[in-house]
Amino acid sequence: MIRSLFLFDMTFWLYLAALSLYIGYVFARRPAASFELAPAGHPTSMGFNDGAWATQIGQVATIVTIFGLIMNTVALGTRAYERLEHLGTFAPWSNQFEAMAFVSWAIIFGYLLFEARYKIKSVGAFVVGIGFIAMGAASLLPYRYQTAEPLVPALNSYWIYIHVSVTLLSYAAFAMAGGLGIMYLVKERAERLGKPSRLYNALPDLETIDELGYKAIMVGFPLLAFGIILGAMWANYAWGGYWSWDPKETWSLIVWLIYGAYIHARMTRGWEGRRAAIYAIFGLLMVVFCFWGVNFLLSGLHAYA
Amino acid sequence: MNGNRPAIAEGESVPAATPGLGWDQVKRELLEFFASIKLAMFLFIVLAITATIGTVIQQNERAEVYIKEYGEQVYQWFVLLGFTDVYHTWWFTSLLALLCINSLTCFYKRFPAIWRSMQQDKVSVTLPFVKNLKYTTEVAVPGQKDRVAEGLVRMFAEKGYQVLAKNGPQEATVYATKGILGRVGAHVAHLSATVIVLGGLVGSLWGFQQFGVCLEGETYHIPEGQFDLRVDKFWIDYHDNGAVKSYNSTLTVLEGEDAKLTKTITVNDPLVYKDIWFYQSSYGNAWDRVEVVRLNIKDKKTDEVLHTVDLDWQQEKALNELGLKLAVTDFVADFGFNSQDKKVYSKSVDHENPAIKLAIWERDGVAATPWIFYHYPGLFDIKDSQYRFELVGYRPKQFTGLQISKDPGVNIVWVGSTLIVVGITLSSFIYHRRLWVKIVPDANGAQSVVHIGGNTHKSQIDFQKEFRRITERLKTLTT
Ligand code: HEM
Repeated sequence: MIRSLFLFDMTFWLYLAALSLYIGYVFARRPAASFELAPAGHPTSMGFNDGAWATQIGQVATIVTIFGLIMNTVALGTRAYERLEHLGTFAPWSNQFEAMAFVSWAIIFGYLLFEARYKIKSVGAFVVGIGFIAMGAASLLPYRYQTAEPLVPALNSYWIYIHVSVTLLSYAAFAMAGGLGIMYLVKERAERLGKPSRLYNALPDLETIDELGYKAIMVGFPLLAFGIILGAMWANYAWGGYWSWDPKETWSLIVWLIYGAYIHARMTRGWEGRRAAIYAIFGLLMVVFCFWGVNFLLSGLHAYA
Repeated sequence: MNGNRPAIAEGESVPAATPGLGWDQVKRELLEFFASIKLAMFLFIVLAITATIGTVIQQNERAEVYIKEYGEQVYQWFVLLGFTDVYHTWWFTSLLALLCINSLTCFYKRFPAIWRSMQQDKVSVTLPFVKNLKYTTEVAVPGQKDRVAEGLVRMFAEKGYQVLAKNGPQEATVYATKGILGRVGAHVAHLSATVIVLGGLVGSLWGFQQFGVCLEGETYHIPEGQFDLRVDKFWIDYHDNGAVKSYNSTLTVLEGEDAKLTKTITVNDPLVYKDIWFYQSSYGNAWDRVEVVRLNIKDKKTDEVLHTVDLDWQQEKALNELGLKLAVTDFVADFGFNSQDKKVYSKSVDHENPAIKLAIWERDGVAATPWIFYHYPGLFDIKDSQYRFELVGYRPKQFTGLQISKDPGVNIVWVGSTLIVVGITLSSFIYHRRLWVKIVPDANGAQSVVHIGGNTHKSQIDFQKEFRRITERLKTLTT
């Protein structure tokens, strides 16, 4: 147990480092029009027009993030092994702490895929930030929540492997969408302030951020649908009915309905951009409530935390 | 959204609508209303908001529970609005039904256009049309018009596009499309929402759900299946640290005298017979039966414990040295007395005020059947007896809680669920895009000007990239 907790701790610090680097990257990118703002001694004459510093910081940020992800993977793997050794089941998402560590893994994994594909690093300052917060919130949980306890009988089923992981993956996608929503608002603010600040230049244009946020939700939406349905199938085996309106399943349906409204809203005019960004942040808050609030505030069949 | 409306007008020829209330008019308005995305958004949001009610207010509790927590007045409102059972109120069900009607109407209104667009002639477009598309550009390409068109068709086909081409004397036109499946997927999702709701309806009309509190060794009749169920055994397994690992019941299905099927069920592993499912749902202490009780027998005068005896449930036991015969004949977990029909009953299932009924036969002809309370020793005095009996402990009988249910709609729900996941996934990961190309030969014929334009209903970034790649490829088409 100690071993995996140590590794989760390491993950936390690596993510913190990665986040700082991404933020550094955003601010190190210089506005294209103001070469004279270059740090003293910086060889502007050598033809770096986008801040050589920035490029290097960006590369380091990506590498540190990759290390963080590897650490996170190893930590989850170690926890899985500890579970298997002592308890006979291995799903490393069997309690709130592990679930959050897994969500943070998924956010970072998703982000790296995204970076590989779109090569827009400044997104890291927001999305890696959310992954870091998930990991940080997990490590703030009291110690007794962090250890691996045996599963209560209702959870002791192979369904936990797939139902829980799929649902958590959808949360990660929505978290990315929320991060992009925040990024949109930041960029918009920078734009409104007028002069081309560093921040403004570092971020991709609004339309791109908006579109990426939408894509993240379009990944989360089918995953959540699948997760809910897997939950229903499990309930059909464990509880004697596929749907019993227990608070957790009801809340995941609520979250799904909220995003359902979002994807349809986007087809009507005026629901892109700012409104969509705010809505995505609101959606993320609802996801957080479904993930945390329900476990700690509402009672029901899912209250295993 | 539907960038290019199909050339064929939808519906029947529209008569110059007199602003009366002609049936056509009403029909069109209704169709418009029920197919509108605004209604869909409204329903999604209202369902989301109302669904929270049941997660905050306990559902299907007894009236006392609500009155205690919220007060009489508020409880009246709850009953009126159905907040004590939100998900089965007429208004919540109606919202669900409306969502189904909404998505079916949407399918009815929009799907035919998508279907047609898969077969339609798309190569009779004009040059301005191409130039007005959301993404558009023109490239000069070496090579004759025909060869360029051939190269284009080949390139699109390689990229997995469906291609239509028309070669005219003045110009060649190419139409390429890909990802229509994404839009079909959305409509599959729309249909399957209704399939799921129908499955739920079938289940609630022709299925049932019951909870059975069953005791080891007993046989229960299951009228819905016309068979009997015997509980052979019930036990609990523990982890090393004392936490419950699993609880299990061995059940046997009997038809008449024949044992048809025996299975040990546990949580997550039910028994199914004749479409009736038996789940291990819970366990607990029975409230009307014990396995064994422990009594202290005291001398009334000296208050000295003369003997401690364990009595099995409803088994007579003789204590010859004291001249006693004792038997536990009844038990209640939470003593209550109904003064009207003079009956003892258990007020709740909790062991709040446990009591046994003890049958006593004493040597000199004294016989009595007093209730003896665990929490109130010495409440009753047995006249003429030289003893006092104190209940110092008991081991409750454990019951196994079985959920018994039959749901003929469940397979419909699974079909709908599979379709909805497939549909949403298709629509999420496949985006529909269309490209039109006009190839116009140069004055001398050695070069061609390629006008290319396209649009998509979403995934603008990906399409932009693809569009750029395609225009890059164009330049090297004929070399
Ligand atoms: C009941 C649950 C529903 C689900 C699960 C659902 C799901 C979806 C999905 C996944 C898409 C694709 C979105 C995209 O490509 O961005 C979609 C598109 C759409 N939905 Fe729904 N929807 C539902 C209900 C409705 C309702 C009630 C309406 C009523 C107007 C509606 C109207 C539309 C329209 C017009 C489209 C665009 C279709 C196209 O691309 O041709 N949906 N829906």
